[in-house]
Amino acid sequence: MADDIMLDNEDTQKDKYLTFHLAGEDYGIEILYVIEIIGIQKITEVPDMPAFIRGVINLRGKVIPVMDIRARFALPDREYDDRTCIIVVNIDEVEVGLVVDEVSEVADIPAANVEPPPKTGKSAGSQYIQGMGKIGKAVKILLDVHKLLFSEEMQALIAEQDET
Amino acid sequence: MSMDIDNDQIEIIQEFVTESQDMIEQLEPQIIELGQNSDPEIMNAIFRLFHSMKGSAGFLEFDHITRVAHAAENLLDLIRNGEIELVPDHVTLLCDACDFSKDALENVNSDYTDSSMGPAADEMAEKLHQAIQIAKQVNAEEPAATTEEPTGATSGSDTVEPATVEPVPTTEPPAAELELPRLEITDEMRLSFVQEGNELLQNAEQGLLAWGENPGDTESIGDIFRQIHSFKGNCGFFGFVQMEKLSHQMENILDRVKSGSQLAVENPADQLLASLDVLQQAVNDISDGKEGIIEDLEQRVQQLQLLVPPLLGEFLVEEGVAEKAIHQAVKTQKKPVGEILVEQGKASPVQVDNALKKQQENLKKAKQETKPAVRTKTPAKRQDIRVDLSKLDSLINLIGELVIGENMLIHNPDLIGLELESFNKAGQHMSKLVRELQEMAMTIRMIPVSGLFRRMIRLVHDISVKAGKKVDLVLVGEETEIDKTVIETITDPLVHLLRNSLDHGLEPPDERLATGKTEKGTVHLTASHEEGEVWVVIEDDGRGLDRDKILEKAISKGMVDGDSSEMSDKAIYNLIFAPGFSTADQVTDISGRGVGMDVVKRNLEKIKGKIDVSSTPGQGTRITLRIPLTLAIIDGMLVRVGTTTCIMPTLSILEAFRPTMEQMTITPEGDELARVRENFFPVIRLHEILEKEPASRNLPDGILIVLEYQGSRFCLFVDEIVGQQQTVIKGLSEFIGNVAGVSGCTILGDGGVSLILDVGSLVESAEKKKMNLKH
Repeated sequence: MADDIMLDNEDTQKDKYLTFHLAGEDYGIEILYVIEIIGIQKITEVPDMPAFIRGVINLRGKVIPVMDIRARFALPDREYDDRTCIIVVNIDEVEVGLVVDEVSEVADIPAANVEPPPKTGKSAGSQYIQGMGKIGKAVKILLDVHKLLFSEEMQALIAEQDET
Repeated sequence: MSMDIDNDQIEIIQEFVTESQDMIEQLEPQIIELGQNSDPEIMNAIFRLFHSMKGSAGFLEFDHITRVAHAAENLLDLIRNGEIELVPDHVTLLCDACDFSKDALENVNSDYTDSSMGPAADEMAEKLHQAIQIAKQVNAEEPAATTEEPTGATSGSDTVEPATVEPVPTTEPPAAELELPRLEITDEMRLSFVQEGNELLQNAEQGLLAWGENPGDTESIGDIFRQIHSFKGNCGFFGFVQMEKLSHQMENILDRVKSGSQLAVENPADQLLASLDVLQQAVNDISDGKEGIIEDLEQRVQQLQLLVPPLLGEFLVEEGVAEKAIHQAVKTQKKPVGEILVEQGKASPVQVDNALKKQQENLKKAKQETKPAVRTKTPAKRQDIRVDLSKLDSLINLIGELVIGENMLIHNPDLIGLELESFNKAGQHMSKLVRELQEMAMTIRMIPVSGLFRRMIRLVHDISVKAGKKVDLVLVGEETEIDKTVIETITDPLVHLLRNSLDHGLEPPDERLATGKTEKGTVHLTASHEEGEVWVVIEDDGRGLDRDKILEKAISKGMVDGDSSEMSDKAIYNLIFAPGFSTADQVTDISGRGVGMDVVKRNLEKIKGKIDVSSTPGQGTRITLRIPLTLAIIDGMLVRVGTTTCIMPTLSILEAFRPTMEQMTITPEGDELARVRENFFPVIRLHEILEKEPASRNLPDGILIVLEYQGSRFCLFVDEIVGQQQTVIKGLSEFIGNVAGVSGCTILGDGGVSLILDVGSLVESAEKKKMNLKH
């Protein structure tokens, strides 16, 4: 079902990004992956998980894991408040919730306005950057959701958990 | 073979594959039985397997399968006719043919072609041919001329005709009308006939209806023809003479239509449908255990015959025209027969006119007579339908959701403190319905273990031949139903356990005789419902487990250290499930690597099952697999540690109590032991495993739950027990993977997620944590 919607909207979803706020910066992810946005809710912790996997939530009967993007990028922790959102994304039939400070808007950023990612990455997050999107003077950091969820580093962490 | 395969064809191929696989699975054990007693009925069943596989494969152009099936069929036919004596080699050969077919079907299933099976098919077919040759040489006095091509290769009805020794009803109508001794028809065969018949008739009916609306469609006629033809073949095989006769007549008409002949009515679909209904009625009769008699058969057949107008020639003969001349005319028939005859001066125009008139009249009459054929619709009796497993799974998931939804509704926090008499009543009613629905959904997934058990017959046969032992496999409780997934999961364990029983457990015949046992060993394979679980028991009357040998091996491998005299028999027997453990001095090709028992344990853990081993030296071993009835829903005890609630499976809980300080002992290593009556159990603190802050670390402030896992017991320390509830098990996300100590999660009444603890891995992870702390 989700596939149909994706296929149908392939064109309309092109170049559209869901932008959100995280520790004073604006980020964007391709709208294609986004299923829905929900407010923060009770998260059940799961033992032996890396710190950025906060646990699991109940999304209408489906249990999905939740990843804190702040923790993922090793940014300082912040108390969740009523602006904190969980963006539910679906990649290769795996649904994951991403905790962000605040969701802003859906922005149109044509490929021409996207610069390649900077080569020098000092923070943990820089390798997940797909490009820098320009809207007027504002800059949105566009994230590669695939890498964010399935990078080798991530796999290694999960594999490590499997062994224990 | 063209590679443009459209979806329809894929569907046909898939159907062919599943059907053939089912048949092979069913018949494989029977082939082995055949070696023990050559029952003509079994013989026929096996013959039919290869025959129908050959037919279908031929139609779908899977030439290699066709070739092997044909060769197997040849061999079987010769055996059936008594021209060749069945020797054990033949059984093995036929089993090999089954194996080949299975491989080929796998190939077909994935690639839609069997072209890669060429060499294997050549080999297999060659082997079968050789077997026939050898057998023929042995029977040198037997004239071999008639056996070259014993069965017609194409049409379904013809091939069941060969003059067999046992009374198979032939399809020749005159012979069949005599009260020939009937082929013994089992209920199973009857059922499959009814199912297949229903399907064929239904297809034919659909085809006819479609054709009735669109008479120009000759392709669909061919299809209907095939359906009726197969049906006729089936009837013939089962000796349902009347049904066969009627379908034969229908076939005739369809044949005429196919070749473009004129019929008495424009479109005979209605008449054919009426006949179809009669056949359907008869099939229903048979499914009710009757004989499928068609009462007004003659009338029906006649009516159908009326549809086919007699040829002009017949009337011309009546008019006195020489028969020979008409035949010649028909041969040169480019113009109407009548004209030719007049031209040739062999018939006068008057004669031809009269004949034509008569033909017309006859047509008219037939039209009038055939009109009143009113369809009496008899609905087909459906025995079962095939459903995609994924659909079933999503239904069961949905019902799981419903259980959660119901919980959330009935225990909704908004309702607390309200007086809601009517609501509660409605709620109770709904709870009951939901529970029933849930139970029903569970039974849908349940299938009898007979399929699994019967597969073991082949295994036991093969191993006993290899190991040179004589074995009787006794199956008990084949009708016991188990969840399909469970059956899949215990297949491998059963194979390993049986292998062990046969290879290690049972003694060779001479050794058995020496100890005063019968030469033939017996292995009982039993399935039953006990204590809310399914028990699958493998019991042999062999030499039993050698306690000392196991212990010795375990000590030499460092699995047991220090003083082992205290170990119970049970604990020692459980050692055989450790990976890499084997007491076999030699690795044979059957067993001895120490892998099998580990597989057994792991698979059983997957389905939350348990294994009990008991053994008496010299008398045998009994291994019981205890499997919970359902996988999707368990009874759970909700426990709390700090702010976290978890679910413990109620099945593993023995008791729970609030400990006193006097009950507790701390060993010098720092392990805590709780004394429960006469026993000391180690204490595992849940808060340490989950890394949570408990309400209190002081044991007397909380609750100790005594848990049992694979025969060993321990206490789990929690803050409190919150309550008990039916729990729908959900997997943690794939993204997270396996989590130690947790087997899944569930959704609570308040919508929160709660982890389900896995008792087995709790112990392991507790030990690991301790190790980490020490280092």
